[in-house]
Amino acid sequence: MAEGTEIVQVRDVVKDFRPGFGLRRKRVLQGVSFEVLEGEIFGFVGPNGAGKTTTLKILMGLIRPTEGSAAILGRDVGESEFRDQIGFLPENPYFYPYLTAREILDFYARLSGVDSSRRAARVDELLEMVNLTPAADARLRTFSKGMLQRVGVAQALIHDPKVVFLDEPMSGLDPIGRKEIRDVILALRAAGKTVFMNTHILHDVEMICDRVAIIVKGAIRHQGLIEDFLPETDVSTAVVLSGLAPEVAASIEEDFDCELRGLGERVELVLASKTMQKVIAIALESGAEVVSVTPHRNSLEDVFMSAVREGEAS
Amino acid sequence: MGKLIRIQALAFNTIREAIRNKLLYTLLGFGILMIGAGVLISTLSYVEIDEIIQDIGMAAIRFFSAGIAIFVGIGLIHGEVERRTIFTILSKPVSRSEFLIGKFAGLTLTVWLQLALMSMAFGLVSWMAGAPLGSGHLIALLLIGLELMVLVAIATFFSAFTTPMLAALFTIGFWLIGHLSRDLHALGQQSDIESVTSVAEWIFRLLPDFEIFNKTLEAVHGLPIESHEVAMAFVYSIGYMICLLTLGSMIFSRRDFK
Repeated sequence: MAEGTEIVQVRDVVKDFRPGFGLRRKRVLQGVSFEVLEGEIFGFVGPNGAGKTTTLKILMGLIRPTEGSAAILGRDVGESEFRDQIGFLPENPYFYPYLTAREILDFYARLSGVDSSRRAARVDELLEMVNLTPAADARLRTFSKGMLQRVGVAQALIHDPKVVFLDEPMSGLDPIGRKEIRDVILALRAAGKTVFMNTHILHDVEMICDRVAIIVKGAIRHQGLIEDFLPETDVSTAVVLSGLAPEVAASIEEDFDCELRGLGERVELVLASKTMQKVIAIALESGAEVVSVTPHRNSLEDVFMSAVREGEAS
Repeated sequence: MGKLIRIQALAFNTIREAIRNKLLYTLLGFGILMIGAGVLISTLSYVEIDEIIQDIGMAAIRFFSAGIAIFVGIGLIHGEVERRTIFTILSKPVSRSEFLIGKFAGLTLTVWLQLALMSMAFGLVSWMAGAPLGSGHLIALLLIGLELMVLVAIATFFSAFTTPMLAALFTIGFWLIGHLSRDLHALGQQSDIESVTSVAEWIFRLLPDFEIFNKTLEAVHGLPIESHEVAMAFVYSIGYMICLLTLGSMIFSRRDFK
């Protein structure tokens, strides 16, 4: 497949649930449409209860859409035969506690159709990849949350799938665990895999995703390249100076409409990036020294919060 | 071939799970205790002591095995959904019917395994009490095995779409009616009202007939068991099982896992 090929296609998906017997149906997805391109890391972002997991369950064939269609690798998600090409890590995965890490991976390898001649080697390879080789023969009931998450990642990759779906892969992990999972995801992209990631941790999305869709109250509010969410026009810069005379600082503040904050002997100026060069030149001329220059970008969180507010208002 | 490997993997995992169920050992223990208790109960009689021991033994095997099939069986699918282990399984190239058949096969093998243990206890008690053992006993026990297979299929069918409580109630109901369906049919035939007769006929056709698997009387009293009756029971059990699993798979395929 060529670069840019649509690997996942979701078209106008609607899902209604009946909360209980005799109760009125509740619409949890309201015509969701998006696509995931080959080789990218796609972040599916939204607050709790927005419909992220419901969408993912539709893609996994665990629930059926009320209306609309969803396809992976050109195959309807209701089919099961093509699933040897996809991997799935559910949120807070639970595995049979009486099995060892090696046994559970062997079980999933059998279900995924991994050839018996290379099953054992593949299990060892995955245990190594997720740093579980020392605990390979320990029962899963003795595993920590982070270790279970790594078992989850390993089972999702046991059959070397083309597309990997991850539901909140970093949730509940410590910083080391999160970095390990991030590294695995980046390694998957490097190996040409396509990754779909459900998450509400925006920092992770900013760090690793190529494209993002924001879902609020069952509807997609924004989608596109990660750069599109962080427009250049909104970029500001913080310049920290030392030895800046108070009268020069006051003149800069007035002329360039910037925020000025005293930091002991130093002064921090938050200004529009396009004026940064001029301000630094003036400061240097007056005998001040530049301590640091930090660009401030409009974060994904700002876009996310505005999408949530839009969703709530609609 | 891939289908078979997947079903086999699911079945073996089901056995591994079922043999960790404490209820299985409780019922198995009670069953073996009941088989042994036949010796004590038989001392209350002066005649047909051997028959009493074996009658009680066979009844204990049937009753406690059915208990295991129902109470261990109904929780297996529900447990997979409740603990969400089914999510990762169905995300693999495993169809829902393969999942259901794998669970059914695993539970049937577990139930047969405990039937073998109870049968050994039965044989041991009979041998120690000096009661005769013959091929009739073996056939009667094999027929109990077929009955249990149908019962597991019923438990699997109901647990594919209801709660464990309802599945247990329905399965117990089917098992009891299955042992009474011949009597209900005979009662209906004696009625003068045509509609009652035809309703009784349809109920008999639709509900399982578990008495087809009951050859305890013949085995215990050394009466001949006709081969065509055994063949009929075999065909009946396979047919009934296929119908239930097909219907169960169709319903299970439409189920949403929220």
